[in-house]
Amino acid sequence: MRDRNYDELRELLTRFTDSSDAGSTERDIRAGDSLFDMHPAPQAAPETLATIKRRISVRLGMPRRHTHPLYRYVGAAAAVIAMALIGFFGRSAPEQPRVSYASLIPAAIWDSDDLVSDDAELAYFRSELRHIETQMQALEAGDGELVAAGSLDEVELELIRIDTQFWKE
Amino acid sequence: MGTGAELTQIIDGCKSGDAECFAQVVDLYGPRCYGYFYRLTGDRDLSDELLSELFMKLVEKIASYKGGSFESWLFRIASNIFHDHLRGRKRQKKLVEGRRAELELRPVEAAQSDLTPDKADRLQTQLSRLDADTRDLIVLRYYSELSFKEIAEMRSEPLGTALSKLHRGLKKLRELMEG
Repeated sequence: MRDRNYDELRELLTRFTDSSDAGSTERDIRAGDSLFDMHPAPQAAPETLATIKRRISVRLGMPRRHTHPLYRYVGAAAAVIAMALIGFFGRSAPEQPRVSYASLIPAAIWDSDDLVSDDAELAYFRSELRHIETQMQALEAGDGELVAAGSLDEVELELIRIDTQFWKE
Repeated sequence: MGTGAELTQIIDGCKSGDAECFAQVVDLYGPRCYGYFYRLTGDRDLSDELLSELFMKLVEKIASYKGGSFESWLFRIASNIFHDHLRGRKRQKKLVEGRRAELELRPVEAAQSDLTPDKADRLQTQLSRLDADTRDLIVLRYYSELSFKEIAEMRSEPLGTALSKLHRGLKKLRELMEG
């Protein structure tokens, strides 16, 4: 603990406690801090720090790849062609149900090298999808009990959660 | 620890996407942030993951750092990452337990506590007996080396409250260690 923190502590203690308590409170806090000095936490392994640095280098390299002018031109050309095809073929096509697509695999899994942990994450992810699929099928089949139990709201909440929190994990 | 001017130079380098500057930040703050995560989780592998997530988040967010105490900013991200992790675990546990029959998973696999120490460590054991909020405060103060004012601001609580919680918490921890 740095000295300046103790200087600040002393000043605060005189502000928040009377002078007789200030001394004993400071001693308690210093004694508590010394427990951490006597029982240091394990150190981060050098390999861990090296892996993080490598991942940072890779991450810093990624945007540059995407912003290469060639990619921009190819992307723009592909978009123009796609729009033209949609305009040409899509005009007389019957209206299709609207489907929202999302990135199916959380980005963290692509970045990770930890196969064991990723397998568990993917198993969990698959179970989430299966559960939602089951709920959607029940709703489509007009399962009155499920709808009455407020499952429509539950499915909606589930999708919102997946779209926000789940992908961060 | 480098001087303020050196740190400013390193952070400017980070903002311009210099991997070497990020590597210096990892060397400067990695050990303390790892200690912070380890004392909150008691799990080395998990601390590795959280540390990695912290620095990847740093890469993402460095452009939004507008000056002020860098340590305070960094540990605020670290604290958010830890709490996000806790929320994720709670939700995951709840979901898995709720669908145990459907998934044919054994509950014990999902219910593994984050706070299981991976080796005998008396301080870790006694820390885990404190309430989560006090533990968070004590560990944050020790590893971040932030001032009380910065810590109280970060936790959005009055200075006197943070001070009194810390005092009670450290006193209790000492009693547990001596008991």
